Amino acid sequence: MRDLYQRLSLSPDATPQDIRRAVEACPNRALQQDAEAVLTVNEHRANYDTLHTTVSDIGQLRARLGLGHGAHWQGSVANDFAYPPDDGVGQHEALIGRVGHAAAHYNRWQRLRGPWLVTVAIVAAVCAGFAAGLALRLRLGTG
Amino acid sequence: MPIARFSPFELLLLQSHSQVDTATLLLQAWILAHRDNVSESQRYRRLAQEAASCGHGHDPGPLMHIAGQRDMQSIQLAAEVLRRDCTAEHGFAVMHKAIAVATDDGSLSLANHYILRFLADLLNIAPATLETLFQELAGAPLGPPQDPSQDAYWRKHNPAHYRRQAEREAEQARAQAEQAEARQKAEQQRQQEQEREQARAQRERQQHEHRRQQERQRQQERQHSHASTPPPDRTLRALAVLGLAREASRSEIRLAYRRMAQLHHPDRVFSQSERQVALASQRFQRIKKAYDYLMQQH
Repeated sequence: MRDLYQRLSLSPDATPQDIRRAVEACPNRALQQDAEAVLTVNEHRANYDTLHTTVSDIGQLRARLGLGHGAHWQGSVANDFAYPPDDGVGQHEALIGRVGHAAAHYNRWQRLRGPWLVTVAIVAAVCAGFAAGLALRLRLGTG
Repeated sequence: MPIARFSPFELLLLQSHSQVDTATLLLQAWILAHRDNVSESQRYRRLAQEAASCGHGHDPGPLMHIAGQRDMQSIQLAAEVLRRDCTAEHGFAVMHKAIAVATDDGSLSLANHYILRFLADLLNIAPATLETLFQELAGAPLGPPQDPSQDAYWRKHNPAHYRRQAEREAEQARAQAEQAEARQKAEQQRQQEQEREQARAQRERQQHEHRRQQERQRQQERQHSHASTPPPDRTLRALAVLGLAREASRSEIRLAYRRMAQLHHPDRVFSQSERQVALASQRFQRIKKAYDYLMQQH
């Protein structure tokens, strides 16, 4: 399977007018015929787009996992859906890192007696509210 | 420092008794989501069956939801878990399960062709092994996937569209033929009128011609007394294509040709689109023709 959008220098969400123009300007006869049959017929294009999304997702996955040259990834698919690997760390490694972070946060919270601090803060806030209300009432009463 | 929230699949994985099984189930749900002609409840039931066979009390609901959302980060995480923690035999079992889920009804969707091959690469299963395994499980050989980016695929799978198109074209051709007939009649009338007029014009022109010839003879005599004639137009154009001035020597032409050919060679844009390559080869042809012509002239 080929990436017709890439071969026509189009983006996958190109409008039908753009596609028509690119197909007419295409100098390669065989490609022109295929692109006309696939992209200018709504029904065919919808079908092709669904598969195109899946295959480009797989292309991205392969790039990230270092499987860009697998034995099962040959021919025009491998040519057209090859992407440069982005330099993020692996998902699993990232997950472990985040779990570690979360655990450290939890430990610090426990060490600082976080729950007690929160209780004390709430009680203080409630007392302050009472006092303010009382003062206001007194002033209204005298005034 | 804030941490990004844990995604639903990450939570499932952290709480799971067996991470490999959870990851396998997510990939199976991914395959199920890409099967054709299967309803939502059928998918759910199939995944529930697989989850029960693992025996860890997995809930298929959230997994099905994640797989249906095109959540590639979760899929990547599942793939990484499988690659990290799977032995060769276990990998074989996972592939076995994946093929079973993909080919329950005997057919394999195009998307699943690519997904199964991705899993085979991930689990280090050779093409020959995959084909044997597939043949055993599905009862049919695993051929190369069909190619919906080709005209031929749609001619086979949607012949109704082509029949309609042919009918439309035939109708257009008929209308055009009628128009052409009407136009021809009008043309004939016009031609007859033109012929009459041309005969008259020719007589006048002959008289003019005679006078002009005399004048031209006089001019030519004057020109011969000057220097030689300037280079013809085509040579100038060819020189312009190579970016050279009027009086370029043979070695200068060759040098300019080499430079331009290197600059515009189609192989330079090979990695870009086919359209770019075609444009470059047009430019290259023009440069080469200009050079060939100049080499003949000098």
